Amino acid sequence: MSQKIKPYLLLFPAVATIVLLFFGGLFDGFLKSLGYFPAIGETRFGIAAYRNLLNSEAFWDSLALTFRIAALSSLIAALLGAAMAVALFMLQASEKGRSSRFWQRLFQLPLTIPHLVGGYIVVLLFMQSGFLSKILASAGWIDEITDFPVLVNDSFGWGIILAYAWKEAPFVSLMMYPVLARIHRSWRDVSRVFGAGNWDFIRDIVLPVMMPAWTIATFIVFVFTFSAFEVPFLLGVTYPSVLPVYSYQLYTSGTLADRPEALAVNIILASLTILLGLVVYYFSKRWNVLRGWDG
Amino acid sequence: MKKISLMASGLLVLMLAACSIETGKSSPEEADSLLKSDWKSVTEEATGQEVNMYMWGGNENINRYLDEWVAPRLQEEHDVELNRVPVNDAQDFVNQLVDEKSAGKTEGSMDIIWINGENFKAAKDNGLLWGDFTGLLPNFQDYIDPEAPEIAADFGEPVEGLEAPWGKAQFVLVYDEDKVKNPPKSMEELAAWAKENPGKFTYPALPDFTGSAFIRHVLYETTGGHGQYQQPAAEIADLDKRMEPMWQYLNEIEPYLWREGETYPESLAKQEQLFASGEVWMTMSYDPALAASEVLKGRFPESTRTYVLDGGTLANTHYLSIPFNSSQKAGAMVAINEMMSPEAQTAKLSPENWGDLSALDFEKLSAEQQQAMNDVDLGAATLPIEELEQNRLPELSSDYIEIIEKGWMENVAKD
Repeated sequence: MSQKIKPYLLLFPAVATIVLLFFGGLFDGFLKSLGYFPAIGETRFGIAAYRNLLNSEAFWDSLALTFRIAALSSLIAALLGAAMAVALFMLQASEKGRSSRFWQRLFQLPLTIPHLVGGYIVVLLFMQSGFLSKILASAGWIDEITDFPVLVNDSFGWGIILAYAWKEAPFVSLMMYPVLARIHRSWRDVSRVFGAGNWDFIRDIVLPVMMPAWTIATFIVFVFTFSAFEVPFLLGVTYPSVLPVYSYQLYTSGTLADRPEALAVNIILASLTILLGLVVYYFSKRWNVLRGWDG
Repeated sequence: MKKISLMASGLLVLMLAACSIETGKSSPEEADSLLKSDWKSVTEEATGQEVNMYMWGGNENINRYLDEWVAPRLQEEHDVELNRVPVNDAQDFVNQLVDEKSAGKTEGSMDIIWINGENFKAAKDNGLLWGDFTGLLPNFQDYIDPEAPEIAADFGEPVEGLEAPWGKAQFVLVYDEDKVKNPPKSMEELAAWAKENPGKFTYPALPDFTGSAFIRHVLYETTGGHGQYQQPAAEIADLDKRMEPMWQYLNEIEPYLWREGETYPESLAKQEQLFASGEVWMTMSYDPALAASEVLKGRFPESTRTYVLDGGTLANTHYLSIPFNSSQKAGAMVAINEMMSPEAQTAKLSPENWGDLSALDFEKLSAEQQQAMNDVDLGAATLPIEELEQNRLPELSSDYIEIIEKGWMENVAKD
């Protein structure tokens, strides 16, 4: 009996903390989004905050922008990450050596940098009076710093996409690499016997094997970029802003009475994230992601 | 899994129960008796106390002044330890106090908070402040005129002894005199200047504190002066219509701003970075000595200067207060009194420390104290105190500020 209960006991502190702080906060936010806010004397429940949101143009603009940025960021990160992983794999397959380890370390570098710092690096490098622009101007490639293309705080969101693509590509490749590492060297030799070149090998063997892990990693990046705050806050435009920033703007600019609306944004955001998470979970179950293939 | 969720919910109940059990370190009665006691017993009680000061931590100079000038003196003279707790925005700890109040937490971690304006109003309206304590402080009795309008009301909200004045600030515009020969001295001139120099002017996106203050100058100048706004916003029936010229003005200059007004810097820090790197030629500050201290740091060019508008600029007082659930109220009072001393205020005036204007009534200082204040070198970028004082405009009450901040998103940022 005690053996049975032991793992649960060991897990208890961690689980309790998560339940109390995370779900407690989420639940509190949910109550407040329904207008229940005893601190300012509001004890009734209603969906007014949600109704106001769904009727406001700002919310829909914000949702569309958030989707667009998350989709493009995860797509570019997925392509870059896959290219990196396959390149590393081929490098390792073709030679045993130190150089492949060096490249691996280099590609993993962005993983060690926090998002906030990454976002700020993008600001310093790519703003019109930033590092790159000043170098180009002093080299005479552009006449004025204002000739430098607008990549930061642009209304399309390229600055945000750039920061995320750079930051998440190593994550994608990290998720895929273990799966690729399971491909035996002998397969490569066999494929050569049958006359397959490098490209055929990648297309017919490597791609199918890594597909599930790749899809899941991309989904994870999508969900993350969909609900992250700091990079869009630094690199976005005043209007429209992505959902997390929009929620922050509502939270900080209004009175306490506007609080429910700000929290309603967060609840919608959390619900969408959970939905996307469930989709990922369903597919990963079906595909046996971490095993890569049945066998 | 079921077991875990059962256990967790059990724990949740336990923890919540623990939260509501009140520890009896300084009961409300005790605190009230503190308000009735004399200063000597307050200082005795403060001995050995550790005081947490929650404040906006975005300025290195201010932080250094507190850590290196104020804290050691408090420790030495009164045996009170001052811990500075930096926060991103005063609204954050007001929010935290609201939550602590609704959770019934009587033993908070905040002993001193640095607030003014809408945060003071929110704290006062929600009963988050301790009480009428300023009359007890010797330095308040000696050097402050409690009846003076800029002391008695904070952004139009009666102070009622709930917070003690710590310093004064006034809005100034900042420019680089090498690039801008004749800085625009009115909103009309500013619009003309922006059209002549497209992309070289902008202001931080609201609700940024400084951006919001800039907009209030636009309101005063485009809608016929500040006198009409000295009453509650709810009493002006045609307020929306009255504010119309302000939105028109802002939309008229928008295409000539930085990045054609497509976006605005999300914070004053970003705007200062744009100014420092030469992307825009003007910035603004609610701290008249900020530019001088940025020049000292080497961030702003030597040719940086500040000025006030012909029609005057907004001025306000900022305050220190004690939250309702502070557990070190005596220590907090001693620390606040110390920060209001003429020596501390004179040190605060120097741009090397902070450059914040003194909150004390100049007339009440002794001849030597006045001399000491006058001897502080404010730096080339800072205006003389007389010039600032002759061009002061009263602040708006926070109900207007909320309306303006919401309206700006709708009317200006959105298109």
